Amino acid sequence: MDQVGGIQSAAADLPTTAERRQALAHIVSLVYRVLVPASPVILALGFGLYVPAVLSLENIINIVQQTAFLFVLTCAQTIVLLTRGLDLSLGPSVSMISVASALTMTAVVGSDGSNGIIAALAGTASGLLIGLLVGLFNGIAVAWLRVNPFVTTLASMNICLGIGTSLSDGHPVFGIPEEFNVAGYRLHVLGIPMSVIYAVAVGIALHLLLQHTIVGRSFYVLGSNPRAAIVAGWPRRRLLALAYVLSALLTAVGALILTARAASGAPNLGGGLSLQTIAAAVIGGVSLTGGRGGLSSALIGSFFITILSNGMNLAEIGGYTQMLVMGAIVIFAVALDRVARVDV
Amino acid sequence: MSITSVDRAALVERLSARLSVVGLIPFLLVLVVIGMALVEPRFYGLPNLFNILRNTSFLAIMACGQMLVMIGGGMDLSVGATAALASVVAAKVMASATEAYGFDPGVAMVLGILSSLGSAAAVGLLNGLCSALLRVPSLIVTLGTLSIVSGITLMMTSGMPVYGLPRGFIADFGRALWWGVPAPAYVAIAVVAVVCLVQRKTVLGTYIYAIGGNPLAAIVSGISATFYVVLTFVLCALLASVTGLLITAQMGSGQTNLGGDRLMLLSIAAAVIGGTSLRGGIGRAEIVGLSALFLSTLTNALNLLRINSKKELVVLGVVVVAAVAIDSLGRGKAAVE
Repeated sequence: MDQVGGIQSAAADLPTTAERRQALAHIVSLVYRVLVPASPVILALGFGLYVPAVLSLENIINIVQQTAFLFVLTCAQTIVLLTRGLDLSLGPSVSMISVASALTMTAVVGSDGSNGIIAALAGTASGLLIGLLVGLFNGIAVAWLRVNPFVTTLASMNICLGIGTSLSDGHPVFGIPEEFNVAGYRLHVLGIPMSVIYAVAVGIALHLLLQHTIVGRSFYVLGSNPRAAIVAGWPRRRLLALAYVLSALLTAVGALILTARAASGAPNLGGGLSLQTIAAAVIGGVSLTGGRGGLSSALIGSFFITILSNGMNLAEIGGYTQMLVMGAIVIFAVALDRVARVDV
Repeated sequence: MSITSVDRAALVERLSARLSVVGLIPFLLVLVVIGMALVEPRFYGLPNLFNILRNTSFLAIMACGQMLVMIGGGMDLSVGATAALASVVAAKVMASATEAYGFDPGVAMVLGILSSLGSAAAVGLLNGLCSALLRVPSLIVTLGTLSIVSGITLMMTSGMPVYGLPRGFIADFGRALWWGVPAPAYVAIAVVAVVCLVQRKTVLGTYIYAIGGNPLAAIVSGISATFYVVLTFVLCALLASVTGLLITAQMGSGQTNLGGDRLMLLSIAAAVIGGTSLRGGIGRAEIVGLSALFLSTLTNALNLLRINSKKELVVLGVVVVAAVAIDSLGRGKAAVE
């Protein structure tokens, strides 16, 4: 590998090679720093050349709305990724929360839709409660039982999948109260749809948490240097578990606004969301080895993925080809990230 | 008194060392088998035992590949998609070789198997090169190839099963009993035995352990990490395609969704429950084979008890976490990062 080459050639031409390499790395990383934030815009413009409809105002509003959902969930994924973990259970837990909260609401709401507000609140509460439980399960398994995050969330993914599909026998749950649908999706405040407002609120909260609180900063250290956290005598396990709980609560928020949009509890709502959020976070610059990333990476990544799939849809690229393109782009983006971020 | 307590500590340590090699799997397996004896006599019917054996064979082969990648410090999420690709490619080639080109069924089978192995090797090469040369985490690479390979498979077939396999491939191989035992079992035993031998007796096996256990040390001592990491991915893809071929031969058609993600998840579960470390450097084929047997027996038992496949997922999830938690807690504080 590279290291070997470096060691062998070190004696012969150390200064020039090193200098050249450093200069190159510097240029690449400069370009890259501009390129990553600009990538969703470039992508949108690129699609716009072929399909002008991509850049129509209607479609841009549509993109922003769709991004709002993915963004909230990508924020959830990012918190866990920062601690050098990952959450594969995110998608199935979205489905499970959607079905469970919808079932709660339909149970509480009267046949004539009388106590809709109470039902909506009960549904929200039950959704958050289930999110909390999923987070506790993941957090306890990772922090105290020391099960690898991949294995833990692979298992909880199966558990959520099993529960989510058997709660309603795999059928969508209809009949959720109008109030929930309005508060979660249809209402516009100053012309801005509620989903976007929730996303902005989540974004601000996440930013404050990660940048301005000790807990948030500690997530970065847990990821980039776990030993430092032990040496410093932090309650490492509690912090780690907290990361999973916070992530799962955000997932619940995302699941609830998605449920409001779908106007039903959908057992297949989460589908590929675990992988999409990981892809979005990583494309935005979150490191899988922890300790790097934040609000901006979640925002960039979720915009990128949404624009990509929206653009391909409008360009009438078939579903199978889309899978192919999506896979190739994820690998390419991360490879580029690896090449560009040479210790600068 | 102090001596006895030291002795006891040593004994406990020795016992737990023994246990950590084999793990809890045999005990759990015996538990399931005894439990089923009490509640469900059909469990011991020959058809059901053959059924378990077949599923174990499919899973064990794939899990061995997964284990090799994990020992090298990676992970392969694309095994299920690769198996489906292998299945579809084999079926397409065999069908067109016999029907369109009029080849002898035997030749068609060889062509089909070779092209299926070849397509899988290409996927493995892509996985390996991306993760070793570009140093993209294998989780992301194989996530990408999972999507790419599924896309290609679906494009080739539009999601329809591919028929027209030579009859011999199904009757004399996939569904056949050789000396009274389903044919896939022989393949699985051969695969596990060969991987076992490679791990214990060959330089190749040692190098793969070395690269996963301590990459830097391996590189400094002159092992080409790139080569061996790529090799683990190629071997894993090849083994996944063997599983794909066996399932194709049993089902009698090329399938685009061949158990879907379930097979991939089970292969990871089998490797991990079998004591393979996700950090690399640890893992033994025979124990992974044993845990494949355990998982297949467990899912079979759940089926017989009429626990539907959705609730089965819940049970599998709990079992995986419990098995790994007990394992990692048993290894003591040293296992902390």
